[in-house]
Amino acid sequence: MNHSPFSSASRRDFLYGLGTSLGSLAFSDLLAAEAPSPLSVKPPMHPSKAKAVIMLFMEGGPSHMDTFDPKPKLTELHKTESKLTAGLETGFKFYVGSPFGTRKVGNNGLDMSDQWQYLADPEVADELCNYRGCQAESLNHPEALFHMNTGSRLGSDPAVGSWATYGLGSVNQNLPGYVVMTELALPQGGSRNWSNGFLPAHYQGTTLRPQGSPILDLSSRSYKSREHQRRALDELQFLNQKHADANPQHADLAARMENYELAFRMQTEVPGVVDIEAEPQHIKDMYGLGKKETETFGRQCLMARRLVEKGVRFVQIFSGGWDSHDYLERGHSSRIRSVDQGMAALIKDLKRRGMLDETLVIWTGEFGRTPDNNKRGGVYSLGRGHNADAMTMLMAGGGIQPGIVGATDEVGGKAVECVHPIRDLHVTLLHQLGLDDNKLTYFHAGRYKQLSQFGGHVIPELIGGGSKAG
Amino acid sequence: MKRTSISALLLTAAISGLCPAEDYSEVDRLFTLKVGPLLAEKCNGCHGNDIEKVKGDFNMLTRDALLAGGETFGADVLVPGDAAKSFLIETVKWSDPDYEMPPKENDRLTPEQIATVESWINAGAPWPDAETQSAIRLAEAKRKVTEDGMIIETSGGLGDDWTYRRYRPEDIWAFLPVKKPEFPKSENQNPIDAFLGAKLAEVGMTAAPEADTRTLIRRATFDLTGLPPTPDEIADFQEEWERDKEAAWTMLIDRLLESPRYGERQAQHWFDVARYADTGGMSNDYERSNAWRYRDYVIRAFNEDKPYDRFTIEQLAGDELADASVAKRQGGDKDKVQAARLSGDYNEEESEWLIATGFLRMGAWDNAMVKEEEARQLYLDDVVNSVGQTFLATTMRCFKCHDHKFDPLPTRDYYRIYAAFAGTQMAERAVPFLEEENRAGFAEGKAHVERMLAFATAGKEALVEKRETAAKAWFAANDLPYLNEKDRRDLDDDKKPPRHVGLSITEQGQLKVREQDEWIWTRRLERYEPMIQSVYNGSRKGAGSARKLRIPEKPAPDHPIESTILTGGSLEAPGEPVTPGVLSMLGVPSPSGTEEDPYALPVSVEGRRLGLAQWIADARNPLTARSIVNRVWQQHFVRPIAGNPNNFGVKGQKPTHPELLDWIAADFVENGWTMKRLHRLIMTSEAYRRSGQHPEYTAVASEDPNNTLLSYFPARRLTAEELRDSLLSVTGELNTAAGGLPANPEINMEVALQPRMIQFSLAPAYQPDPTPEQRNRRTIYSYRVRGLADPFLELFNQPNPNDSCEARDSAAVSPQAFTLLNSDTITDRSIAFAVRLEEEGSGDPKGLIHRAFHLAFGRHPDPVETERLETYLHEMTEYHATSKPAEPVYPEQITRSLVEEFSGETFEYEEILPAFENYKADLKPAWVSAETRALADLCLLLFNSNEFVYLY
Repeated sequence: MNHSPFSSASRRDFLYGLGTSLGSLAFSDLLAAEAPSPLSVKPPMHPSKAKAVIMLFMEGGPSHMDTFDPKPKLTELHKTESKLTAGLETGFKFYVGSPFGTRKVGNNGLDMSDQWQYLADPEVADELCNYRGCQAESLNHPEALFHMNTGSRLGSDPAVGSWATYGLGSVNQNLPGYVVMTELALPQGGSRNWSNGFLPAHYQGTTLRPQGSPILDLSSRSYKSREHQRRALDELQFLNQKHADANPQHADLAARMENYELAFRMQTEVPGVVDIEAEPQHIKDMYGLGKKETETFGRQCLMARRLVEKGVRFVQIFSGGWDSHDYLERGHSSRIRSVDQGMAALIKDLKRRGMLDETLVIWTGEFGRTPDNNKRGGVYSLGRGHNADAMTMLMAGGGIQPGIVGATDEVGGKAVECVHPIRDLHVTLLHQLGLDDNKLTYFHAGRYKQLSQFGGHVIPELIGGGSKAG
Repeated sequence: MKRTSISALLLTAAISGLCPAEDYSEVDRLFTLKVGPLLAEKCNGCHGNDIEKVKGDFNMLTRDALLAGGETFGADVLVPGDAAKSFLIETVKWSDPDYEMPPKENDRLTPEQIATVESWINAGAPWPDAETQSAIRLAEAKRKVTEDGMIIETSGGLGDDWTYRRYRPEDIWAFLPVKKPEFPKSENQNPIDAFLGAKLAEVGMTAAPEADTRTLIRRATFDLTGLPPTPDEIADFQEEWERDKEAAWTMLIDRLLESPRYGERQAQHWFDVARYADTGGMSNDYERSNAWRYRDYVIRAFNEDKPYDRFTIEQLAGDELADASVAKRQGGDKDKVQAARLSGDYNEEESEWLIATGFLRMGAWDNAMVKEEEARQLYLDDVVNSVGQTFLATTMRCFKCHDHKFDPLPTRDYYRIYAAFAGTQMAERAVPFLEEENRAGFAEGKAHVERMLAFATAGKEALVEKRETAAKAWFAANDLPYLNEKDRRDLDDDKKPPRHVGLSITEQGQLKVREQDEWIWTRRLERYEPMIQSVYNGSRKGAGSARKLRIPEKPAPDHPIESTILTGGSLEAPGEPVTPGVLSMLGVPSPSGTEEDPYALPVSVEGRRLGLAQWIADARNPLTARSIVNRVWQQHFVRPIAGNPNNFGVKGQKPTHPELLDWIAADFVENGWTMKRLHRLIMTSEAYRRSGQHPEYTAVASEDPNNTLLSYFPARRLTAEELRDSLLSVTGELNTAAGGLPANPEINMEVALQPRMIQFSLAPAYQPDPTPEQRNRRTIYSYRVRGLADPFLELFNQPNPNDSCEARDSAAVSPQAFTLLNSDTITDRSIAFAVRLEEEGSGDPKGLIHRAFHLAFGRHPDPVETERLETYLHEMTEYHATSKPAEPVYPEQITRSLVEEFSGETFEYEEILPAFENYKADLKPAWVSAETRALADLCLLLFNSNEFVYLY
């Protein structure tokens, strides 16, 4: 970005000129209020349905047939030869019936495999939209992850969350606008999944780490007190102020000084948000805290609610282990148990607090799974391969119409109704946030870049327009 | 080339029976040449081409359809003769937020285009018949230059509209020949100042005065070496400057250019563009064990001032040079060339050429879960794009699927360049070590890898034995003869034990981890072998596996490689055949060009890349020289002359000083493509010595807010690498050893030990080198893992090596403050700095502060600073009298936890970290006195100050 070194210089110069007499805290507050930062709130382009997004990313590719899109036909075909050509598996392939039972839940008759307990609660289920028409394009994890997260398979473009914060800014200037929570192990492709790409660095996802310091090096060294830190910052401001006085031409200096003050405020604010001990016991129980299986994801869901409450624009949680090439029953059953309670609690909690209307919750993987499998180690392994032609996702809140949208074929090999590429999903997501993908652009490398790359379409069925399939 | 001859015919020969352009009415011409194509490009995608999918029931393919309107607007869409009443104009102006057409920012009409449509409507909106239109177009195509721009001859687009479209010369400036302009000469003036001065004079601005000597030496030293000057260097320079400033300045530049640190700094810039990393990225992030040899080649090339044309050719076709050289040595014996490829029997010069081809292996690439031919396409697309961006400032990706939207680059040319690489095969291959390659640490490194390998192998074997014992029991119980895992693989399920018999879920997971680790560490042993990551020529169609890429013993028969245009970029849609060739729009023939096809490259498997490389390095190629001099300019003035160094196309930013750019480019080529001379030319200009502070900066701010005229020197924040290297330099810890195996500095310990997913397992934990000397090398020597960035460097905008970086970002974000205040790295540096100050016997607090300022800023503190910091130091000494820093803990073993990806179950396993067994840590706060900790607090302030991190 080539911004003018003089942009908003005069206002800052004036303030910093007063800085020493006002006291550093006072002048930085003034600055926060007066000087537009790259994360200042920007009005939406059209009336928005959602103010924030919580994206629950199931890394590895959850199977649609074993979660929300049951295929009785597969049970009939179980272990018979498959001639399907999608996917990467080669050699002899056979159909795999779901190891799980299924039932209809709630007013909209959502299909859920019997592994889902908490999500099946009508209070939650009636808020859910199950979308079955999305198609990915890559069969490999990192490319597919990049595609779902950044709109490009290459792993160097800005993430959806970066675009959202770029478009709307963030309400709370003391917290990052775009927060990412992962398991201890990063997903494939790592931080490229929440990178700001070619957008300015202010819009990159900030990871809240699952253990240790929530943000790397957030707190000062244990032998240095908060007063010690404040004292150091005052001294630093003294040095920097002298330097700025001698270099009035250089506006970046002020921005960097401001950053130290923001960092200081974040040191208080972040631990406050992250410290969920303050939550009442029944809330903690609701999210499944204190149980080994549900603790990690439940904690992150609760954190997501707290962050959105505090004005964070976009929260993403990565939860891995869905890549069930083998041992599908064991694998999916354990993954479902680990996320079921947390996400159900999140939706309930948002709803009860009146936040669901303005918060779009989306649950998705990077692709779906195949109806068939090949032998592994010479054995009929009951699992599924990667499938870019069909997948399943859940959405709730943020103006999304509950119910089932789209359909896959009778074995779940391909999406056949309300079929849309990932870019249309992205365009829809931005649309709900009050952003128009075609106008939310950034000039880079010779053209106006946009999340959808070359444009896409809102999926009307998801937002209560058009006809629905089921 | 059929296409070329047709266009030549059209452009040069008179076509009988056609009327001259003047015979058609202005409005008919306006419609045919401007309005029609505009509708086709901007509207018909949604309003015409596909009758089924037409939007808003509004078809714009014919005049009648347009007049009829659509579902929302009827006849008022187009009112012939009255643009103001035509709603069409309203929509293209985006004046009604509900009807903004075309809806994409990228497609929006320019004011000139809108005016064109308006004048067409006002003239009655005529729509000449197809025959008339075609006649108008043909007549027009004969006129190479008109007021609408020029036609650029190319190998031809997929349609005539594209082939004969016109460009404004100022838009395609980069594709036109370099013309060395005359400059307003005056006595002894650097030509750069003549050009810059002329522009300043035009707007009546004056330049800032010369910067002070401290600023100048700091600027020059960072620019050329990426390091700060030492206090002694500053003092010497100031003394010499007093004697004879011009002599002092040229001596300084000469000294810096001769420093081995120069090549390290320049290589960093090169790698931003070429995307250096020690691993391959994507799913597996496999190590590229010998990438460091390419890294050192680049550093050597800069230090030796290898002419840029040679540098280009070696990186693109070094293997072909080596093959030719071997053939020559061996009397043209092809078998001997192949034998040398396998044995690595190369002389020094040939080896150097081969190492250079590491450039062709810099992209992130992995074939995991990708079909064979698609994996190869991914590689070739990446190489083609990288070559275009790096050497030609051309983003090749933009015409892979269609003719370029804005530039005279037909998709045919994309696939001609693609064909130039069609025989290029990736391989690790044997190349002897060179005398000058640093092989320090081989024995120690190898011992470490062998230890890790032994641990993995032992773990694997124990588990395999357990499984096979259970298998034996199963066979015995079923009265069947025992067969090992491989031999029983194809038996029916009831004739063999379950797959992981005898192993618990945890053990199954552990076995997979150990098997991966065994492979990872075996592969890492290749670091110590005389091998390189390189390419060879062959006609194989698939890409091979990223796990192991070798030259086959027996080369595949040298059958011709056939290439086609891939329609829409898809392997499934081969289009017209193409032969290898170079970009046609420059009009620069390839060395093997013919009259029939001036841009042809050899069709034999050998020689394609060399031909391409020679064409790129051709003195007549306007992109090559402009591109590199623009990048070097950017290194010195932050802002390049042409704003997008990776894209000189129509949509790239235009040069602020086109004549200056051309003059330097021409001068660069005329004088043997030497980089050091280019730095000298730039740095001996007055512009480079200007102060960063303009005496009338408010006036300058309004006149030239982006400082494009360079009336003052642009400040910049240090890059991530400069920042880390400066810290080490100021503390006296920097080990300036050059080259060799990747160094493993300490990185944030939480990140180092954090599990990192790879395809079937977790990557091994990051282990720093055991001694400070090994760790505290220059950053360019740090092990660069695509999947694991050093968080310190990443925060300070070290670019993602998956993508070419044309300009560093330097946005200030809060986590930078966290890392510069609180991290282990910065704490260790501040302690080291404090200890250095104390050991150098700087004495009382005043002396310490004085010396600290000299080392960090290169200046005296003023009395106010001294007094304040003295008080601070005193207070901190009191504070630390009772502060209790923790002892550091270094784990020698860690327990990892992983969700078994196939079963979804969590399992744990142990990993050893031998690096920490005899670990020599940097000095820690707990090990020094309260006084030292207090002094370290002061040092920390200096490291955080803007004066330290900005360069003026």
